[in-house]
Amino acid sequence: MYPELSDEALTDLLQNNDHLALETLFNRYYKPLCQFSAVYTREYVIAEEIIANLFIKVWDNRHDAVVLNIKSYLFVAAKNLALNYLEKKKEPVDSIEEINTDHFTFQDGKNPFEILSSRESYDGILNVIDTLPPGQRQILLMSHIDSLDNRQISGILGISVRTVDTTLYKSIKKLRLLLKDFRRSAQGN
Amino acid sequence: MEDNSYKLIIAYFEKTISDEGLTQLQEWIEASPEHQTQFSDTIHILEASKLYFKPQVHPEKAWAKIQAHISAEESQRPVKKRRWMPFVAACLICCILGSVIYKYRTGAEEEYQFLSNTNGKQAKYILPDSSVVYLGGGSKLKYPKDFTGKTREVYLDGEAFFDVVHQAEHPFTVATGDITTVVLGTSFNIKAYGHEDRIAVTVKTGKVAVMAKTRGHNEVIRYLLPDDQISINTQNGLYTFSETDADDVISWIRRDFIYYNTSLQDIVMSLEHHYGVEIEFTDPELSKVRLTAKFKNISLSETMDNLTILSGLAYTQNGNHLYISNNNQKGGKIMK
Repeated sequence: MYPELSDEALTDLLQNNDHLALETLFNRYYKPLCQFSAVYTREYVIAEEIIANLFIKVWDNRHDAVVLNIKSYLFVAAKNLALNYLEKKKEPVDSIEEINTDHFTFQDGKNPFEILSSRESYDGILNVIDTLPPGQRQILLMSHIDSLDNRQISGILGISVRTVDTTLYKSIKKLRLLLKDFRRSAQGN
Repeated sequence: MEDNSYKLIIAYFEKTISDEGLTQLQEWIEASPEHQTQFSDTIHILEASKLYFKPQVHPEKAWAKIQAHISAEESQRPVKKRRWMPFVAACLICCILGSVIYKYRTGAEEEYQFLSNTNGKQAKYILPDSSVVYLGGGSKLKYPKDFTGKTREVYLDGEAFFDVVHQAEHPFTVATGDITTVVLGTSFNIKAYGHEDRIAVTVKTGKVAVMAKTRGHNEVIRYLLPDDQISINTQNGLYTFSETDADDVISWIRRDFIYYNTSLQDIVMSLEHHYGVEIEFTDPELSKVRLTAKFKNISLSETMDNLTILSGLAYTQNGNHLYISNNNQKGGKIMK
């Protein structure tokens, strides 16, 4: 493998049928790509399948065109494939905007308000995150993916860096509001 | 100020905060208990959201699947490939020389990169925004390294077919000298060789705006829809608008060439770009002949044979130089 080579060098080697180059790219980007894909698919099994198929596609199409920025290409393709999957599954691609307690799934069967009224568990917060407006939810989660900085996220999503920055803190503001509401209604019970 | 506080807390969490920012943040937290709450809430939220990625992925399993696919494909590839290797290596070198990618900085913001094909080479590229560009022979394209600016601006000298990804906030623009073509998401062909005095923009799908620099600023000359074509004479600024079959205009990306009532002069210039040869006429009058012809991915000599039969002319070839002449004369270069 070639861990020291740049993305561009690896892309060149791909054109030369070098599958070690593909393996290097795979090791470099598989995990963040799965995480990125899982933001849309909401579960990992499908995300991993999508990304494995993506690398197969990259290999099959290696002579078709010269990819100038393989990292960007991989993430944009991952997004499109995830969205296609959701479309085919006929699930609403983006969650509804109002808070709906039916969306919460808890393994211990506890009432969401009960859980949230104690110092909010991380699980509770994750579930509330799923009710955020889709753009906010996506950017909040994507900000935690190691290989992606805000500039790259903006390029992949086709929006400005400024929009990414403001959406990020808007998502946190909104979450605080939502969590405050739950605390209040939980105390009211 | 409130929004700035969130920015600081996020930077702190992501460990990208500057020393100055850290001081600002501390002062802000100490200023009031609400700030303290906002700080701890935000950190709590950021930590929780990070847990979304707690589940492990299984790269070995995925790679096994990919590796199996590669091996299966390799076993199907023709055994001949061993003899091809020196040929492939030579081609790769030519391709690298023919399609050069190099960088340079234009001062402050954008870093640009170049793509360049010599005559005789054409290539398909996927741009950083996932738009596709087929770059023709003898053509150059300059593009920003990260398409993260307000516009996606590229510069073309030559011929290219673009298939652009739609991005609502970022129009894609192609600058060819004083003419700029603006699109949102669409596919179109631009032929604008700097040394020829013409620019032609043809739309395959979607809609573009063709703008010209007049009196110092860009003005829209015309909006084009599918199968519309505008042809601009860069010497005198005159342009003609016509309807055409966009498929014919972009057929070059599949190495098919379709000419409708095109002068031999224009056909020859097109052949020079695509095959990387030089073609001259022993008598300039001969170049004015107009022909209609379709060539599907055939060699230069077959093309020349067809052309000369259609036009009633003849040609001779000397390495990379071709000379078109009348049938009863054979052409060549006069020794100096």
